[in-house]
Amino acid sequence: MSVLVKEPELMDPAPVMAVAADFSEEGVRALSASRNEPGWMLDFRLAAWRRFEAMAWPKSTDESWRRTRLTGFDLKNFTAYATPGATSRRHELSPLLQSELGEMESAASLIFQDGGVHYRNDNPNLAAQGVIFTDLQSAVQKHPELVRQYFMTQAVKPDHNKFTALHAALWDTGAFVYVPKNVTVELPLQAILHQNPGLGGYHHTLLVAEEGSNVTVVDDLLGGVDGMQSGVIELVMKDNTVVRYMNLQDFDHSAWNFLTGRAVMGRDTDLRWIQVSWGSRTTKAFLDLELNGPGGHGELLGLYFPTGRQHIDHQTLQIHNAPNCFSDLLFNGALKDRAHNVYMGIIKVLPDAQKTDSFQRNGNLILDGTARADSIPGLEIEADDVRCTHAATAAQVEDEYVFYLMARGLTRPQAERMIVQGFFQEVLDRVPVESVQHKLERVIERKIGG
Amino acid sequence: MSVLEIRNLHATVGDTEILKGVNLTLRSGEVHAMMGPNGSGKSTLSYIIAGHPHYTVTEGDILLDGESILDMEADERARAGIFLAFQYPVAVPGVSVANFLRTAVSNVRGYTDGNGNGSMSGGVIGSNLMPMREFRRELNSKMQEFNVDSSFARRYLNDGFSGGEKKRTEVLQMAMLEPKFAILDESDSGLDIDALQVVSDGINKLATENRGFLLITHYQRILNYVKPDFVSIFFGGRIVKTGGPEVAQMLEERGYKWVEEELVGGLVPA
Ligand SMILES: Nc1ncnc2c1ncn2[C@@H]1O[C@H](COP(=O)(O)OP(=O)(O)O)[C@@H](O)[C@H]1O
Ligand SMILES: [Mg+2]
Repeated sequence: MSVLVKEPELMDPAPVMAVAADFSEEGVRALSASRNEPGWMLDFRLAAWRRFEAMAWPKSTDESWRRTRLTGFDLKNFTAYATPGATSRRHELSPLLQSELGEMESAASLIFQDGGVHYRNDNPNLAAQGVIFTDLQSAVQKHPELVRQYFMTQAVKPDHNKFTALHAALWDTGAFVYVPKNVTVELPLQAILHQNPGLGGYHHTLLVAEEGSNVTVVDDLLGGVDGMQSGVIELVMKDNTVVRYMNLQDFDHSAWNFLTGRAVMGRDTDLRWIQVSWGSRTTKAFLDLELNGPGGHGELLGLYFPTGRQHIDHQTLQIHNAPNCFSDLLFNGALKDRAHNVYMGIIKVLPDAQKTDSFQRNGNLILDGTARADSIPGLEIEADDVRCTHAATAAQVEDEYVFYLMARGLTRPQAERMIVQGFFQEVLDRVPVESVQHKLERVIERKIGG
Repeated sequence: MSVLEIRNLHATVGDTEILKGVNLTLRSGEVHAMMGPNGSGKSTLSYIIAGHPHYTVTEGDILLDGESILDMEADERARAGIFLAFQYPVAVPGVSVANFLRTAVSNVRGYTDGNGNGSMSGGVIGSNLMPMREFRRELNSKMQEFNVDSSFARRYLNDGFSGGEKKRTEVLQMAMLEPKFAILDESDSGLDIDALQVVSDGINKLATENRGFLLITHYQRILNYVKPDFVSIFFGGRIVKTGGPEVAQMLEERGYKWVEEELVGGLVPA
């Protein structure tokens, strides 16, 4: 994409095109100008950049960062942001992306690469129903009122943490999904990010579900060789909405991955969020459910399977702000080699949230003695009439199980594989899209074998 | 016609000797009941026949049609035609009965493509699966025949099953795997009369002339349903008496105390 005609108020004395991508205020300005953004978005980015500069980097004494170190992480190692190329037609896509698209029947799809849209498959039927499914950059131009209202204002704010501030300053790719009142989108909406090597990327998913709507969104995250991704997920659910959201992260094992996501849920909402963390060298994810209206039902289900020296860290918060809500969290993962997993979770029940029913479970299957899993569950309860439980388990593949299956003719590798697959099944069974289920099964099989 | 022969088998777990010279010959078409008190080593014997790696055989041998099976892994023994119905089958969450059994049956029947490719390529064995349709048809008909509700195909193996459901599923698996020799470790214990009837019917259906059964039991009860050709009394890690069905009758009348005083006293040096 080249620089389009700039509006007068965007005029900047610095030459816009020439600036190399840089982690600096100039970099932020150049990025915004190259996207021909309106002044309010530039201001938003600049404010966020200042917040970013003012905030300290996480320290190993911070509770959230005690078990996940940033040793070896340096922004200097990444190109601050990518410069988008032209969009492609389907047959021009790489085999990987073609197969990603082909795997799932979707209502519409978007592929992002190099900080912009690489491919889009729009659906006129959706548009006719008033559904918006487009890249955020286009949404800024075409639906500024909606973006201004919802972008990092309700679910995840720029100053949530250092990485969200960075994200707010430099955000580039990601989908904007808007589903009008009482509209049901039958098939999933699919957004794929393929991040090219060496880049900083800032993928954003902003979903706004108006009252009574129903939608399923799948985010696929790929690539990221020697790169950094600092993503944000915002799920804004008005009353009586049903949302199925899947975030399938399969980055290269050299990628640094930071993610902050939150669902804000109104009255009688129904959410199932599947968070999959297969890839990356290090992942630190903050994932929150915020139940703000009575009768909300939120499920947050996680899968991970670090191998080699991968380090995966999920930190979750189930915030019950309203009475009669239900939340169910289940994170299950297997670990191999010298992998390390951290799970930290808190169920927080505020004084008004009577009759809260909340679960939090984390299960680890340790396949090698050299792997390590830390599980730190927690409860903060300020209401008296609630039911909250949490549990953490760490298990190994027991010989008795292997023997039982082998005594029926399974080879040892088959028996072990089946037990590990079985361990993931409880979450897989709850993945709402069958093709996604199969895809996850294939990754698990690959990880067990590899 | 096959023969499973256990010769002077001694085995230990850790430093403890549990089997102290077991001798037994089982032929196709025979039902051999083995009765013994708790802790006498019956399960240990069945585990060792099936190839459990935790036990060490210190002396003796187990021969299948004249060939020692002691060096074979549990899965090789299963493929050679040995089946063990567990006293306490473990629950394997997330692994459906159908999925697991399809793999097991495919292995035991030798559905392999010879080059290790396939959905479960863990070596050549298991590299190919029995066609789904064919498998389904057979499983459905056997579930009906052996009184296992068809919903169990999709359920996770023994997960949340009652005692009776577990034992019935063991019999179903035996029916699918069609072993030459089946060792049933207390398949009757913990069952009410109805469940015992179902399990016994299953055993009787499967007790054909080309299959041998070692029916391990604590109680005489199941022998009202399944008629043994031979009955052995197992005590202190060995067989202390073998005879016909009358031995079970004798045991029923006189109890293990009699075994200890009359049979073991003369046999086991103190
Ligand atoms: N893995 C083991 N470790 C230690 N002791 C064992 C083990 N397995 C069996 N035993 C001991 O061996 C003896 C025989 O047990 P078992 O074979 O289960 O008897 P049965 O089936 O006749 O009740 C018991 O004393 C039991 O405690
Ligand atoms: Mg026993």
